[in-house]
Amino acid sequence: MYGAHILQKQHRENVLKILAIIPAYNEEECLANTVSELTSVCPDIDYLVVNDGSHDRTPEICDELHLNHIDMPVNCGLTSGVKAGMKYAYRHGYDAAVQFDADGQHMPQYISKMADAMQEQGADIVIASRNLAGGGAVGARGTGAKLITALIKRATKQTITDPTSGMRMYNRKMIEIFAREFDISPEPDTISLLIRKGAKVIEIPAEMRERQGGTSYLRYFSAVSYMARTCLSLLLFQWFR
Amino acid sequence: MSPVLRLVLIVGSLLALWVVINRVRKKKIRIADSVYWVVCAVLMILFAVFPGIAFFFSGLLGFLSPSNFVFCMIIVLMLVKLFNMACDISKLTDKVEQLAQELALHEKENEDQGL
Repeated sequence: MYGAHILQKQHRENVLKILAIIPAYNEEECLANTVSELTSVCPDIDYLVVNDGSHDRTPEICDELHLNHIDMPVNCGLTSGVKAGMKYAYRHGYDAAVQFDADGQHMPQYISKMADAMQEQGADIVIASRNLAGGGAVGARGTGAKLITALIKRATKQTITDPTSGMRMYNRKMIEIFAREFDISPEPDTISLLIRKGAKVIEIPAEMRERQGGTSYLRYFSAVSYMARTCLSLLLFQWFR
Repeated sequence: MSPVLRLVLIVGSLLALWVVINRVRKKKIRIADSVYWVVCAVLMILFAVFPGIAFFFSGLLGFLSPSNFVFCMIIVLMLVKLFNMACDISKLTDKVEQLAQELALHEKENEDQGL
Protein backbone atom coordinates (compact mmCIF):
# COMPACT_ATOMS: atom_id res chain seq x y z
CA MET A 1 0.00 0.00 0.00
CA TYR A 2 2.89 2.36 0.55
CA GLY A 3 5.69 3.56 -1.60
CA ALA A 4 6.83 0.47 -3.54
CA HIS A 5 5.72 1.85 -6.89
CA ILE A 6 6.40 5.43 -6.00
CA LEU A 7 9.72 5.83 -7.77
CA GLN A 8 8.29 4.67 -11.07
CA LYS A 9 5.44 7.15 -10.91
CA GLN A 10 5.25 9.41 -13.92
CA HIS A 11 5.38 13.12 -13.40
CA ARG A 12 3.22 15.40 -15.46
CA GLU A 13 4.41 18.36 -17.51
CA ASN A 14 4.88 21.66 -15.69
CA VAL A 15 4.31 20.08 -12.32
CA LEU A 16 7.15 20.21 -9.87
CA LYS A 17 8.63 16.86 -8.92
CA ILE A 18 8.51 17.16 -5.14
CA LEU A 19 10.14 15.11 -2.41
CA ALA A 20 8.92 15.30 1.17
CA ILE A 21 11.83 14.68 3.53
CA ILE A 22 10.60 13.17 6.81
CA PRO A 23 13.34 12.99 9.44
CA ALA A 24 12.34 10.47 12.11
CA TYR A 25 14.09 9.91 15.42
CA ASN A 26 12.15 7.60 17.73
CA GLU A 27 8.81 8.29 16.03
CA GLU A 28 7.19 4.83 16.28
CA GLU A 29 3.88 6.30 17.52
CA CYS A 30 3.19 8.71 14.68
CA LEU A 31 5.26 7.75 11.67
CA ALA A 32 2.78 5.34 10.06
CA ASN A 33 -0.12 7.78 10.40
CA THR A 34 1.93 10.70 9.14
CA VAL A 35 3.06 8.84 6.01
CA SER A 36 -0.38 7.38 5.22
CA GLU A 37 -1.96 10.83 5.56
CA LEU A 38 0.72 12.31 3.34
CA THR A 39 0.34 9.70 0.61
CA SER A 40 -3.46 9.90 0.63
CA VAL A 41 -3.65 13.72 0.59
CA CYS A 42 -0.72 14.21 -1.82
CA PRO A 43 -0.57 11.13 -4.09
CA ASP A 44 1.54 13.04 -6.62
CA ILE A 45 4.54 13.67 -4.44
CA ASP A 46 7.27 11.29 -3.32
CA TYR A 47 8.58 11.04 0.20
CA LEU A 48 11.68 9.79 1.96
CA VAL A 49 11.71 8.83 5.62
CA VAL A 50 15.16 9.39 7.14
CA ASN A 51 15.38 7.10 10.16
CA ASP A 52 18.08 8.85 12.17
CA GLY A 53 19.42 5.93 14.20
CA SER A 54 16.21 5.48 16.21
CA HIS A 55 16.29 3.19 19.24
CA ASP A 56 12.58 2.32 19.14
CA ARG A 57 10.55 0.43 16.53
CA THR A 58 10.88 3.14 13.86
CA PRO A 59 13.17 1.05 11.58
CA GLU A 60 10.91 -2.02 11.87
CA ILE A 61 7.85 0.09 10.99
CA CYS A 62 9.67 1.41 7.92
CA ASP A 63 10.46 -2.15 6.79
CA GLU A 64 7.07 -3.70 7.58
CA LEU A 65 5.06 -1.00 5.81
CA HIS A 66 7.60 -0.81 2.95
CA LEU A 67 8.03 2.92 3.45
CA ASN A 68 10.54 4.56 1.13
CA HIS A 69 13.26 5.15 3.69
CA ILE A 70 16.94 5.27 4.53
CA ASP A 71 18.47 4.23 7.86
CA MET A 72 21.31 6.24 9.36
CA PRO A 73 23.53 3.68 11.16
CA VAL A 74 24.09 6.09 14.08
CA ASN A 75 22.12 9.09 15.35
CA CYS A 76 23.41 12.16 13.55
CA GLY A 77 20.89 14.86 14.43
CA LEU A 78 18.18 16.70 12.53
CA THR A 79 20.56 18.69 10.33
CA SER A 80 22.37 15.63 9.08
CA GLY A 81 19.08 13.79 8.51
CA VAL A 82 17.67 16.63 6.41
CA LYS A 83 20.95 16.89 4.50
CA ALA A 84 20.85 13.17 3.71
CA GLY A 85 17.35 13.75 2.32
CA MET A 86 18.62 16.70 0.29
CA LYS A 87 21.38 14.54 -1.20
CA TYR A 88 18.74 11.98 -2.18
CA ALA A 89 16.57 14.71 -3.72
CA TYR A 90 19.56 16.10 -5.61
CA ARG A 91 20.68 12.73 -6.98
CA HIS A 92 17.16 11.72 -8.03
CA GLY A 93 16.52 14.99 -9.86
CA TYR A 94 13.74 16.48 -7.74
CA ASP A 95 12.68 20.06 -8.48
CA ALA A 96 11.72 20.80 -4.90
CA ALA A 97 12.08 19.29 -1.44
CA VAL A 98 9.92 19.99 1.57
CA GLN A 99 10.83 19.34 5.21
CA PHE A 100 7.97 17.46 6.80
CA ASP A 101 7.81 16.48 10.48
CA ALA A 102 7.18 12.84 11.34
CA ASP A 103 5.23 13.73 14.47
CA GLY A 104 2.06 14.86 12.66
CA GLN A 105 2.47 18.61 13.27
CA HIS A 106 2.46 19.45 9.57
CA MET A 107 -0.60 19.15 7.34
CA PRO A 108 0.04 17.71 3.88
CA GLN A 109 -2.65 19.81 2.15
CA TYR A 110 -0.33 22.83 2.42
CA ILE A 111 2.41 21.19 0.35
CA SER A 112 0.65 21.86 -2.96
CA LYS A 113 -0.09 25.44 -1.88
CA MET A 114 3.59 25.91 -1.12
CA ALA A 115 4.53 24.48 -4.52
CA ASP A 116 2.04 26.78 -6.27
CA ALA A 117 3.44 29.81 -4.42
CA MET A 118 6.98 28.73 -5.30
CA GLN A 119 6.16 28.51 -9.01
CA GLU A 120 3.98 31.62 -9.23
CA GLN A 121 6.39 33.88 -7.38
CA GLY A 122 9.62 32.25 -8.50
CA ALA A 123 10.71 31.72 -4.91
CA ASP A 124 13.74 29.72 -3.80
CA ILE A 125 12.34 28.93 -0.36
CA VAL A 126 8.70 28.83 0.80
CA ILE A 127 8.02 28.78 4.54
CA ALA A 128 4.68 27.63 5.96
CA SER A 129 4.01 30.35 8.53
CA ARG A 130 1.80 29.72 11.56
CA ASN A 131 1.85 33.43 12.35
CA LEU A 132 0.33 34.44 8.98
CA ALA A 133 -2.54 32.05 9.74
CA GLY A 134 -3.14 33.70 13.11
CA GLY A 135 -1.33 31.07 15.16
CA GLY A 136 2.28 30.81 16.18
CA ALA A 137 4.44 29.68 19.04
CA VAL A 138 3.55 31.02 22.49
CA GLY A 139 5.46 31.46 25.74
CA ALA A 140 9.25 31.15 25.75
CA ARG A 141 9.27 29.67 22.26
CA GLY A 142 7.20 32.59 20.97
CA THR A 143 9.57 35.11 22.56
CA GLY A 144 12.57 33.33 21.06
CA ALA A 145 10.90 33.29 17.64
CA LYS A 146 10.14 37.03 17.85
CA LEU A 147 13.78 37.73 18.73
CA ILE A 148 14.94 35.69 15.74
CA THR A 149 12.47 37.54 13.48
CA ALA A 150 13.91 40.86 14.67
CA LEU A 151 17.51 39.73 14.13
CA ILE A 152 16.73 38.45 10.62
CA LYS A 153 15.01 41.76 9.83
CA ARG A 154 18.17 43.57 10.98
CA ALA A 155 20.40 41.40 8.81
CA THR A 156 18.25 41.22 5.68
CA LYS A 157 15.57 43.98 5.88
CA GLN A 158 13.02 41.23 5.31
CA THR A 159 10.40 40.10 7.83
CA ILE A 160 10.13 36.35 8.29
CA THR A 161 7.05 35.98 10.48
CA ASP A 162 7.68 32.34 11.46
CA PRO A 163 11.44 31.68 11.29
CA THR A 164 11.28 28.52 13.42
CA SER A 165 8.60 26.84 11.29
CA GLY A 166 9.84 23.36 10.46
CA MET A 167 7.85 23.16 7.23
CA ARG A 168 9.92 24.71 4.47
CA MET A 169 10.09 24.01 0.75
CA TYR A 170 13.34 24.46 -1.16
CA ASN A 171 13.86 24.59 -4.92
CA ARG A 172 16.58 22.74 -6.79
CA LYS A 173 19.15 25.51 -6.37
CA MET A 174 18.69 25.38 -2.57
CA ILE A 175 18.70 21.56 -2.58
CA GLU A 176 22.13 21.66 -4.16
CA ILE A 177 23.39 24.09 -1.51
CA PHE A 178 22.05 21.89 1.30
CA ALA A 179 23.51 18.78 -0.29
CA ARG A 180 26.98 20.25 -0.69
CA GLU A 181 27.84 23.29 1.40
CA PHE A 182 29.61 23.37 4.78
CA ASP A 183 27.67 24.32 7.93
CA ILE A 184 24.28 24.79 6.25
CA SER A 185 21.48 23.63 8.54
CA PRO A 186 17.69 23.82 8.18
CA GLU A 187 17.61 26.61 10.76
CA PRO A 188 16.61 30.30 10.80
CA ASP A 189 20.15 31.64 10.50
CA THR A 190 20.65 29.70 7.26
CA ILE A 191 17.45 31.25 5.87
CA SER A 192 18.86 34.67 6.72
CA LEU A 193 22.22 33.83 5.14
CA LEU A 194 20.55 32.57 1.96
CA ILE A 195 18.46 35.77 1.73
CA ARG A 196 21.67 37.78 2.00
CA LYS A 197 23.16 35.66 -0.79
CA GLY A 198 20.21 36.54 -3.02
CA ALA A 199 17.69 33.77 -2.42
CA LYS A 200 14.01 34.75 -2.64
CA VAL A 201 12.19 33.59 0.48
CA ILE A 202 8.41 33.86 0.81
CA GLU A 203 5.88 32.70 3.36
CA ILE A 204 2.35 31.37 3.03
CA PRO A 205 -0.17 31.10 5.87
CA ALA A 206 -0.52 27.57 7.23
CA GLU A 207 -2.07 25.98 10.25
CA MET A 208 -0.23 23.33 12.22
CA ARG A 209 -1.41 20.79 14.72
CA GLU A 210 -0.08 20.08 18.16
CA ARG A 211 2.58 17.37 18.24
CA GLN A 212 0.90 13.96 18.04
CA GLY A 213 3.55 12.15 20.08
CA GLY A 214 7.24 11.26 19.99
CA THR A 215 10.05 13.39 21.35
CA SER A 216 11.11 16.71 19.93
CA TYR A 217 14.66 17.18 18.76
CA LEU A 218 14.66 20.42 20.71
CA ARG A 219 14.41 18.55 23.98
CA TYR A 220 17.84 17.10 23.30
CA PHE A 221 19.12 20.27 21.77
CA SER A 222 19.14 22.51 24.79
CA ALA A 223 17.09 25.63 24.11
CA VAL A 224 19.80 27.91 25.49
CA SER A 225 22.58 26.67 23.22
CA TYR A 226 20.14 26.75 20.29
CA MET A 227 19.40 30.43 20.91
CA ALA A 228 23.07 31.25 21.58
CA ARG A 229 24.11 29.66 18.31
CA THR A 230 21.29 31.26 16.31
CA CYS A 231 21.74 34.74 17.76
CA LEU A 232 25.53 34.68 17.41
CA SER A 233 25.21 33.50 13.84
CA LEU A 234 22.69 36.22 13.01
CA LEU A 235 24.49 39.00 14.89
CA LEU A 236 28.11 38.29 14.11
CA PHE A 237 28.93 35.66 11.52
CA GLN A 238 26.24 36.77 9.10
CA TRP A 239 28.55 39.61 8.03
CA PHE A 240 31.54 37.41 7.35
CA ARG A 241 30.15 34.36 5.55
CA MET B 1 44.64 44.53 37.85
CA SER B 2 47.63 46.16 36.22
CA PRO B 3 47.12 48.21 33.07
CA VAL B 4 49.49 45.82 31.28
CA LEU B 5 47.36 42.79 32.13
CA ARG B 6 44.24 44.63 30.96
CA LEU B 7 45.92 45.58 27.70
CA VAL B 8 47.16 42.01 27.17
CA LEU B 9 43.65 40.67 27.83
CA ILE B 10 42.07 43.07 25.34
CA VAL B 11 44.67 42.53 22.61
CA GLY B 12 44.68 38.76 23.16
CA SER B 13 40.88 38.55 23.09
CA LEU B 14 40.57 40.65 19.94
CA LEU B 15 43.23 38.50 18.29
CA ALA B 16 41.32 35.37 19.33
CA LEU B 17 38.06 36.79 17.98
CA TRP B 18 39.74 37.61 14.68
CA VAL B 19 41.12 34.05 14.42
CA VAL B 20 37.69 32.51 15.19
CA ILE B 21 35.85 34.71 12.67
CA ASN B 22 38.45 33.91 10.04
CA ARG B 23 38.09 30.19 10.64
CA VAL B 24 34.31 30.42 10.35
CA ARG B 25 34.70 32.34 7.11
CA LYS B 26 37.14 29.77 5.73
CA LYS B 27 34.70 26.97 6.68
CA LYS B 28 37.14 25.36 9.12
CA ILE B 29 34.76 25.38 12.11
CA ARG B 30 31.00 25.21 12.42
CA ILE B 31 29.25 28.16 14.02
CA ALA B 32 27.82 25.89 16.72
CA ASP B 33 31.37 24.94 17.77
CA SER B 34 32.61 28.53 17.70
CA VAL B 35 30.08 29.84 20.24
CA TYR B 36 32.28 28.90 23.23
CA TRP B 37 35.34 30.75 21.90
CA VAL B 38 33.42 33.90 21.03
CA VAL B 39 31.73 33.96 24.45
CA CYS B 40 35.11 33.47 26.22
CA ALA B 41 36.78 36.22 24.23
CA VAL B 42 33.94 38.63 24.98
CA LEU B 43 34.11 37.67 28.67
CA MET B 44 37.83 38.46 28.80
CA ILE B 45 37.26 41.82 27.12
CA LEU B 46 34.56 42.59 29.71
CA PHE B 47 37.00 41.75 32.56
CA ALA B 48 39.62 44.04 31.02
CA VAL B 49 37.32 46.96 30.24
CA PHE B 50 35.42 46.80 33.54
CA PRO B 51 37.95 45.75 36.24
CA GLY B 52 35.18 46.35 38.79
CA ILE B 53 33.74 42.91 37.89
CA ALA B 54 37.00 41.17 38.79
CA PHE B 55 37.38 43.29 41.97
CA PHE B 56 33.84 42.40 43.05
CA PHE B 57 34.24 38.65 42.59
CA SER B 58 37.76 38.45 44.02
CA GLY B 59 36.46 40.22 47.13
CA LEU B 60 33.46 37.95 47.29
CA LEU B 61 35.44 34.71 46.90
CA GLY B 62 38.50 35.77 48.93
CA PHE B 63 41.11 36.06 46.17
CA LEU B 64 44.22 38.06 47.09
CA SER B 65 44.08 40.07 43.87
CA PRO B 66 41.66 40.53 40.98
CA SER B 67 44.24 39.25 38.50
CA ASN B 68 44.30 35.95 40.42
CA PHE B 69 40.56 35.77 39.92
CA VAL B 70 40.94 36.35 36.18
CA PHE B 71 43.60 33.63 35.91
CA CYS B 72 41.41 31.27 37.92
CA MET B 73 38.45 31.99 35.63
CA ILE B 74 40.53 31.18 32.57
CA ILE B 75 41.69 27.90 34.14
CA VAL B 76 38.13 26.94 35.05
CA LEU B 77 36.88 27.73 31.54
CA MET B 78 39.71 25.66 30.07
CA LEU B 79 38.96 22.69 32.34
CA VAL B 80 35.27 22.81 31.43
CA LYS B 81 36.12 22.91 27.71
CA LEU B 82 38.67 20.13 28.11
CA PHE B 83 36.15 17.87 29.82
CA ASN B 84 33.47 18.62 27.25
CA MET B 85 35.92 17.80 24.48
CA ALA B 86 36.76 14.51 26.21
CA CYS B 87 33.02 13.71 26.20
CA ASP B 88 32.72 14.69 22.54
CA ILE B 89 35.69 12.51 21.61
CA SER B 90 34.14 9.57 23.47
CA LYS B 91 30.91 10.01 21.52
CA LEU B 92 32.79 10.34 18.23
CA THR B 93 34.90 7.26 18.96
CA ASP B 94 31.76 5.25 19.63
CA LYS B 95 30.12 6.48 16.42
CA VAL B 96 33.18 5.70 14.29
CA GLU B 97 33.36 2.21 15.79
CA GLN B 98 29.66 1.64 15.14
CA LEU B 99 30.02 2.87 11.56
CA ALA B 100 32.98 0.54 11.00
CA GLN B 101 30.96 -2.38 12.41
CA GLU B 102 27.96 -1.53 10.24
CA LEU B 103 30.17 -1.31 7.17
CA ALA B 104 31.90 -4.62 7.92
CA LEU B 105 28.56 -6.41 8.47
CA HIS B 106 27.19 -4.84 5.29
CA GLU B 107 30.09 -6.10 3.22
CA LYS B 108 29.69 -9.57 4.68
CA GLU B 109 25.98 -9.53 3.77
CA ASN B 110 26.80 -8.41 0.25
CA GLU B 111 29.42 -11.16 -0.13
CA ASP B 112 27.02 -13.81 1.19
CA GLN B 113 24.48 -12.71 -1.39
CA GLY B 114 27.15 -13.10 -4.04
CA LEU B 115 27.18 -9.47 -5.06
